[in-house]
Amino acid sequence: MERIAILGALASASIRSEFQYRANAITSILGGLLYQMTGFVTVWIIVARFNEIGGWSLGEITFLYGMRLTSHGIFYACFSQMFEADRVLLTGEYDRYLLRPFSPLLQLFTRKLRINCFGDLLGGTLLLSVASSRVDVDWSPAAVLFLLAAVVGGALVEGSVQITLGSLSFRFLQTTSVRTTVNEVFNLYGNYPFSIFPKLLEYLLTFALPVAFVAFLPSTLILNRRDSLHVSPVLAAIAPLVGGTLFLIALRIWRWQSRNYQSSGH
Amino acid sequence: MTVRPNIPAWIEIARANIRWQYMYRFNVFMGIVLTGVTIYLLTIVWRAAYGAQTEVGGIALQQTLVYLTIANLQLYFLRPEVSGDIQARIREGQIGFDLSRPVGYPSQLIAGAAGDMIGALPMVVVSVPVAMIVGELQPPPSFGAGLAYVVSFLFAWIIAVQLNMVIGLVSFWTLEMTGFEMMYRLIGNFATGALVPFWFMPDALRAVVQLLPFQSIAFIPVSIYVGAPATGAVWSALAIQLFWAVALIGVIRWVWSKAFLHTVIQGG
Repeated sequence: MERIAILGALASASIRSEFQYRANAITSILGGLLYQMTGFVTVWIIVARFNEIGGWSLGEITFLYGMRLTSHGIFYACFSQMFEADRVLLTGEYDRYLLRPFSPLLQLFTRKLRINCFGDLLGGTLLLSVASSRVDVDWSPAAVLFLLAAVVGGALVEGSVQITLGSLSFRFLQTTSVRTTVNEVFNLYGNYPFSIFPKLLEYLLTFALPVAFVAFLPSTLILNRRDSLHVSPVLAAIAPLVGGTLFLIALRIWRWQSRNYQSSGH
Repeated sequence: MTVRPNIPAWIEIARANIRWQYMYRFNVFMGIVLTGVTIYLLTIVWRAAYGAQTEVGGIALQQTLVYLTIANLQLYFLRPEVSGDIQARIREGQIGFDLSRPVGYPSQLIAGAAGDMIGALPMVVVSVPVAMIVGELQPPPSFGAGLAYVVSFLFAWIIAVQLNMVIGLVSFWTLEMTGFEMMYRLIGNFATGALVPFWFMPDALRAVVQLLPFQSIAFIPVSIYVGAPATGAVWSALAIQLFWAVALIGVIRWVWSKAFLHTVIQGG
């Protein structure tokens, strides 16, 4: 209980500090929204001109895009500081985390908030709500619950990949560019029905790098597009669980790798 | 503002930036990986969009794929970091040293950007084969188109540096500007035509992006390369770039004359 209270205090401090510079906060949020919107406009123009991509209509692709973007927004709100792991370890800021009686990883997460995540969340939910009326889905309570679980699970999938890669920083120090590149692969490839990809890529982006689990797999169940699946629908149904499991594994890996920490001195 | 040529100083600044490029070899390598990943996805998506059609709106699938490959390949070389450099110097107060040098500040920036470009050029050896594997590379349809592309690419570089400089100089007022710069980057990325060639845009959107300078960075040169120049003729496409290059010189002079008076040197 006390740990949750501490976590809440740290998180609210990082939120408050970001809103100190109100003008910059607002432009960052708008910038984040705009960034994602230009990405979506690209997809929208292509689908509007050609009517479909891989048999998916504009409504379906918008829904998929909205799901992934919302997941990404949650991921970014909670774990954006993984992108700063190099600096924290290199400058010895991590020493301070070790001295405090609280999980060092949680201290890293709550170190600072990148508020453009609110732009992602805004854009994602906007796309989801616009698309949800344009797709042929029976919105039963079970379907809504599955959507919520899938969106959170998607965020955990992205989080687990970034935490695992971040734990490499204990050994190699400079790994930021690897992480941003992998993040871009999620951002680019996660928004499309996998049926347009070559077979090998479909499997690589499912089992080597779990991009499919973020949004594509669960979306096929909600949208009733099992015909586009390259794997068993069971995998699509357990996608939220996969997110949770991968996340627990990633936390283990982080703790295991953190034994290699060598302070740079202060 | 008059520009007094100081060629030895410019060469030194350019050389410093060339060396800088090689300090971050790994990041350069990851930049190429990212370009490859982007090109690969775009060709998959556009192939799926064309489906069974070989030509849409007078543009063949092959032309579109070559367009996307070249546009994103050259975008890798057209990402000047002038604005980021200016901000870093302002934040750390080093801008004071830059301004006290006996070489005009804007010309220092241009020399630095030239160094960045020259330093990145050897990467052609790596990035072109990568683009060939993941995308679709073909020579231009005629020798004339190839020659016009080279001229147009040089204009593209000039205009990319100029636009970046304008954004950087604005930080003399705002000091920090991450949000604003991000917006510029995004609109810029989209309005260059590197992700969606203008041919496929809805008319209203195309009318807007054609009024902006960003098309000079990707759409104009690359549409020349694939033999379908933006305006229908090579000379008028180049004229648009010339117009923007000259207009932006005016804009930079004006912004700089105001920015100089606004200099805030933080610490030292």
